[in-house]
Amino acid sequence: MRSRILMLLGAAIFFMTFSTSAMASDLDSFKGEKGEIKIAGGTAHIPVMKEAARRIMTLSPDVQISIAGGGSGVGIKQAGEGLVDIGNSGKKPSEDEISRYGLHLFQWAIDGVAVIVNPANKVRALTQQQVADIYTGKISNWKDVGGVDKQINLYTRDEASGTREVFWNQALKKGEIAANANFSVSNGAMKAAISQDPFAIGYVSVGHIDESVAAVAFDGVIPSRETVKEGKYSIARGLYSCTKGAPAGLTKKFLEYLFTEEGQQIVVEQGFIAVK
Amino acid sequence: MTAGSERVVERLFFAAAFVSAFVTVFIFGFLVYYGLPLFSGGRFIEILSSPWAPHQGSFGIYPMIVGTLAISMLAMVFAFPLSMGCAILISVVSRGRLSKVIRKVVEAMTGIPTVVYGFVGIFLLIPLVRNVFDAGSGMCVLSASLMLAVLVSPTMILFFCDSFDRVPRSYGHAVLALGGTRIQQFLHVTLPCSWPGIVVAVTLALGRAVGDTLIALMIAGNAVQVPGSVFDSARTLTSHIALVFAADNESLEFKAIFACGVSLYLFTTILVLIIRLAVHERGKCGQVR
Amino acid sequence: MKGASVGRFVERAIITFSWLAGAILLTVICAVTGYLCFKGLKTMSPALIFGSTDPMSALLLRQRVFDGLFPAMAGTLLLVLMSVGWAIPIGTAAGIYLAEYAGGGTKKIFNLLFDLLAGLPSIVIGLFGFSLTLFLNRHVSKELHPCLLLSSIALAFLILPYIIRTTQIALENLPVQNRLTGLAMGATRLQNLFHVLLPQALAGMVSGVLLAIGRCAEDTAVIMLTGVVASAGVPRSILSHYEALPFYIFYISSQYADQQELATGYGAAILLLFICLFLFAVAFVIKKNLPCQVFSQR
Repeated sequence: MRSRILMLLGAAIFFMTFSTSAMASDLDSFKGEKGEIKIAGGTAHIPVMKEAARRIMTLSPDVQISIAGGGSGVGIKQAGEGLVDIGNSGKKPSEDEISRYGLHLFQWAIDGVAVIVNPANKVRALTQQQVADIYTGKISNWKDVGGVDKQINLYTRDEASGTREVFWNQALKKGEIAANANFSVSNGAMKAAISQDPFAIGYVSVGHIDESVAAVAFDGVIPSRETVKEGKYSIARGLYSCTKGAPAGLTKKFLEYLFTEEGQQIVVEQGFIAVK
Repeated sequence: MTAGSERVVERLFFAAAFVSAFVTVFIFGFLVYYGLPLFSGGRFIEILSSPWAPHQGSFGIYPMIVGTLAISMLAMVFAFPLSMGCAILISVVSRGRLSKVIRKVVEAMTGIPTVVYGFVGIFLLIPLVRNVFDAGSGMCVLSASLMLAVLVSPTMILFFCDSFDRVPRSYGHAVLALGGTRIQQFLHVTLPCSWPGIVVAVTLALGRAVGDTLIALMIAGNAVQVPGSVFDSARTLTSHIALVFAADNESLEFKAIFACGVSLYLFTTILVLIIRLAVHERGKCGQVR
Repeated sequence: MKGASVGRFVERAIITFSWLAGAILLTVICAVTGYLCFKGLKTMSPALIFGSTDPMSALLLRQRVFDGLFPAMAGTLLLVLMSVGWAIPIGTAAGIYLAEYAGGGTKKIFNLLFDLLAGLPSIVIGLFGFSLTLFLNRHVSKELHPCLLLSSIALAFLILPYIIRTTQIALENLPVQNRLTGLAMGATRLQNLFHVLLPQALAGMVSGVLLAIGRCAEDTAVIMLTGVVASAGVPRSILSHYEALPFYIFYISSQYADQQELATGYGAAILLLFICLFLFAVAFVIKKNLPCQVFSQR
């Protein structure tokens, strides 16, 4: 029994050293680091944050990176008040917020916001006017936009969401959102909800779209990484990380890592557009 | 042990009780303090009765109050007959082994975590409601209250059984001696005698239904509107706190959740007082014996 | 005659109705547990907890676990230990005071306040914990954020009334002669309490603590507002964010990224269900099967 455990340990240590030596050099600055980074805010950012954190924490188990959601508004506010080290935002903080809190911004990816429906829904294209009318409640049945005779189930995000703000500004042209809309707390939650409800409509970060939901062409342009990158798809925004004052120590290293070749590769793997 | 140290320990016991009791009052003070600008003047009433529209500067919690009441009352409508039926089954109709088994199951049910009910609600109940009633997303008042009914029923059943069992046996024997059945005994003797216990059980269950966060948050849909039908999505006071607490601390939006907290606190106080009164009544009933 | 047949009809109706209610309740509970087991039992394996990490190095904190429940379980365990650690001394002492010392008016007020505390929705306690954190952050130390420590304090308030009540009831239910024997033999009030009464009341008190542990382990609303996050790893300090099992279930249910993640959600739900039912069963057994004498015979 004991020898078995020793063997397992040996294997683990061997694996650790082996995998460390195979790791790209972009992570080297974290070797032997200790400490904590608290991240909160934008939910579109979470997959990239998680993957970066995973790689860093695998290399240096003494680094602890905690990731919470809440939405862009929460990210800006909590970073500004010093409650977290990095506050993520899916919209550019206002000039007032930047000067009031002394925020430093780091835009490490470009993202779009797309209308999504359940894959079982045959509607795959909507105009801006149709989307706006669906969200005000003027159009409330799928048959009015070429679908089946079923009520449209609206899904939206709360006021703290950067995704909501971008969508509201650019897709709804600041139109009203009907009060009967269900609320989802994050991009992930929106995707999960739409994938379960066959008659749902929602909006989500382009990076989050996968086979569990179907993206809807907006004014004839299919939202995808390519169309956003080429500028054809108009509802686009930057993904920001904010710090109060200039970042230092681990936080600085973390943000720098996002801009390295490996960091930007994570950005692309998670469905966003790299800035470098 | 000297008399001096004896007194010190006694003081410590008192201090512990005092601190615990003080916290209860302190919580209320804190909630009011943090929501302060909303409570000055007659604004508290205004908050309770106006709609939630942050963009238009209105931070009322009226839709959440209606949502809370709709969901919890409907839950009681489902839970009360269900619990009454089960309690009758356990303490009157079936008195053998089966009754013991059912009782054990009910007792175990009180230990099931709320979040587990919410989880099953999302993946089992919501699709069911959506497909059966063919109305909307399935995230609605009905789904939440059905799940809440399951949550509060075990407590109600156990309290019902307890108050049935408290009625002195001798009362019922008279009915049986006159040739009545056990059901007659139950209807004419046990039930009338156990009403304070029933009030306690219902009040406790209502308190749990109103105070529960997870079930409504997970399956009621959270739309900010006054629900017009049981198939409408709705938001409760508790979900509202959970959804908005991360907003800017200085904003009125944030302050409004303290209005939710204070409302829930006051509501709980009323329920506790009702329970006290009912227990008091029951005490009197016992003395008759 | 007519009256009798109406009576019989009512009787039949009540009996049918009660069986129906029982059947509905059992069906529902079987559906809930059955559905979870059907979907989740196949995920039950060491990989559910440790993911692709080697269990030994995970337990020794040498390596982080990313795709397993280990950090959430560790977080819940620490949270429970800390909250119970706060609540047991205060709750027991308060319960003793209520049962043994408090008189008339004081007792009434305390009883009312503890009933109120017990009745407060957990989200209200959470909101209190959150505003307390803001207060401390602003007025005491900028280093204080929502964290494990503050969550455990808020949770302690949630379970305090349980512990107070069970202690009080366990003591008050002791037969009067047990209470008097010690005193008659010349013991002081406190000696009598520690050497005679508390050992006898222990079974009741322990079962109360176990129920409180269950409450801590399952509560989501309090910790949601006071520092739990979806991704943090095993906490390295009591001032850091942490993960917890019930929050993980909540989080996964609404925002799972893929079917595999959802499967761990089912696994976590089963795990939490079993933990809570186990605690419940143990509390039940202690209460029923351990008569006072077992403890007092030492």
